[in-house]
Amino acid sequence: MKNTNFIQRSIIGALSFLRDSIFSQEQAMRPGFLQSLDPRIKLITFLVFIVQVLFARSLWELSFFYSLCLILAVFSKIKLGFFLLRTWIFIPLFSLFIAVPAILSFFSPGEVLFSRNILGLEFMVTRQGVDSALFFVLRVASSVSFAVLLSITTRHFELLRVLRVFKIPQIFVMTLGTSYRYVYLFVEMTRNTYLAIKSRVGILAHYKSGQNIVAWNIACLWSRSVHLNEEVYKAMLSRGYQGEALAWVDFKIRTRDFFWLLGVVLLGMTNLVIRS
Amino acid sequence: MDNMIFELKNVYFSYLGKFPALNGIDIKIQKGQKISIVGANGSGKSSFLQILDGLIFADSGSVNFYGRELNEKNFNDDKFCRSFRQKVGFVFQNPDVQLFCPTVQEDIVFGPLHLGVEKKLIERRLERLVSILGLQGLLDRIPHQLSIGEKRKVAIASTLIIEPEILILDEPTAGLDPLTTRHIIDLLIDTGASGKTIITATHDLHIVEEISDIVYVFGCEKKIASFGKASCILNDMELLKANNLLHIHSHRHKDTVHVHSHRPSGQGGASSIGLDTHIDHH
Repeated sequence: MKNTNFIQRSIIGALSFLRDSIFSQEQAMRPGFLQSLDPRIKLITFLVFIVQVLFARSLWELSFFYSLCLILAVFSKIKLGFFLLRTWIFIPLFSLFIAVPAILSFFSPGEVLFSRNILGLEFMVTRQGVDSALFFVLRVASSVSFAVLLSITTRHFELLRVLRVFKIPQIFVMTLGTSYRYVYLFVEMTRNTYLAIKSRVGILAHYKSGQNIVAWNIACLWSRSVHLNEEVYKAMLSRGYQGEALAWVDFKIRTRDFFWLLGVVLLGMTNLVIRS
Repeated sequence: MDNMIFELKNVYFSYLGKFPALNGIDIKIQKGQKISIVGANGSGKSSFLQILDGLIFADSGSVNFYGRELNEKNFNDDKFCRSFRQKVGFVFQNPDVQLFCPTVQEDIVFGPLHLGVEKKLIERRLERLVSILGLQGLLDRIPHQLSIGEKRKVAIASTLIIEPEILILDEPTAGLDPLTTRHIIDLLIDTGASGKTIITATHDLHIVEEISDIVYVFGCEKKIASFGKASCILNDMELLKANNLLHIHSHRHKDTVHVHSHRPSGQGGASSIGLDTHIDHH
């Protein structure tokens, strides 16, 4: 049955997004290669990869990094189908649409590969255009793939804690962590409120009353969040919080992390030497 | 005098200055006592506990902790505040409120970490509590993913790790299955046996006799309706009925319709296994 109800679609969409993020937490808990690394080292090395991708000058170089990313995904017990779907679904596809005009001679003049006459206009695809479009798409795809691989092989709370490595204030990290924790609760509340409304008024509601329901739901959630905010603050005070946030850090760097870091640094240096 | 922990005199408290929550409360709590606060919904139990924990402050009357008044001014003194928080632990009614960190482990260690306890000592306490409460495998979980029983245990662990002298619990068994309820009661009995002062608000009368020496009944007028030994209070049918803690209902057993009140047994044996005494009127 076609689902035409806006509220229902929004709530189901939000829930499915959150389920996906919980699912990706499951990937992060698998006993794979990347999962076993110290999150701090992993983040730093992935940033090194992304920077190298951004400064890559040839298609071969980009292809190497993209292949490396896929190999790392396989060694980390991530299903390739799942990974490709997750990485290609948004940004690279979007970039592909942007890159398509670049393959034409209007924007990239050069050696013509083939041409078509459409409505009296001559569309010519050039080798230089294809190369630059491929280069652009592969660069975006590689960067996004590294970022996605990092996020699905690292538990979200660990990523939050790693932010401190970059001297981001603890109060900011703590606020982000608390928001992350409560977003689930609020989505659950919204879902239950929606179900309660649905059980009383049914799915079909006049669009005006539908607007009222959404507005009332937003106001209600706002009021609940304000109340919860006060209660959570009391719970923090009760356990000794005095305005200065402290973090529990139990990361440990092991031999494996050291060798991984060394490997990435050597790879980066080799890349620099080859380029120069 | 040294044994006197809390002393409340004629305490009034209202929300927004117009919705009264406590209406003239006088109470004295001594070291090592095990106290239950019983009362119907909205009788002011939670507000009372929050006043004891210095989270809200009385509109009038006085609240003293070891002879020092609990007011905002004193809580602005970091030394007093830290010492108070180390001595008094509070388990909230809603564990979702108490578990605000991204993981269970961070939630449990939040208290001692902010109270300046040494990291190695925190690790030792954490290891011990995890083993006592059976929290193995939960430490890296997101609190939202836990069951209500697990959340409650984690909330208790996050308070016990501070090793407070006084433990305040707001409805610790609400919404729990019988086995988890039993587990938590056993934990409270063990904690009480170690000499801690335990103050529990509940309307689950089945657990009261086991976890308390003295019971305070909060009435609908937001004041103490009665207090005394658990066995005396639990046997006072009229008192319980007047304060919405006892109800009479009818139901069918095969061909006979019974009309009886639900009340906890005055004797330890029956209440300890959670049986209701039926008083038949036919």
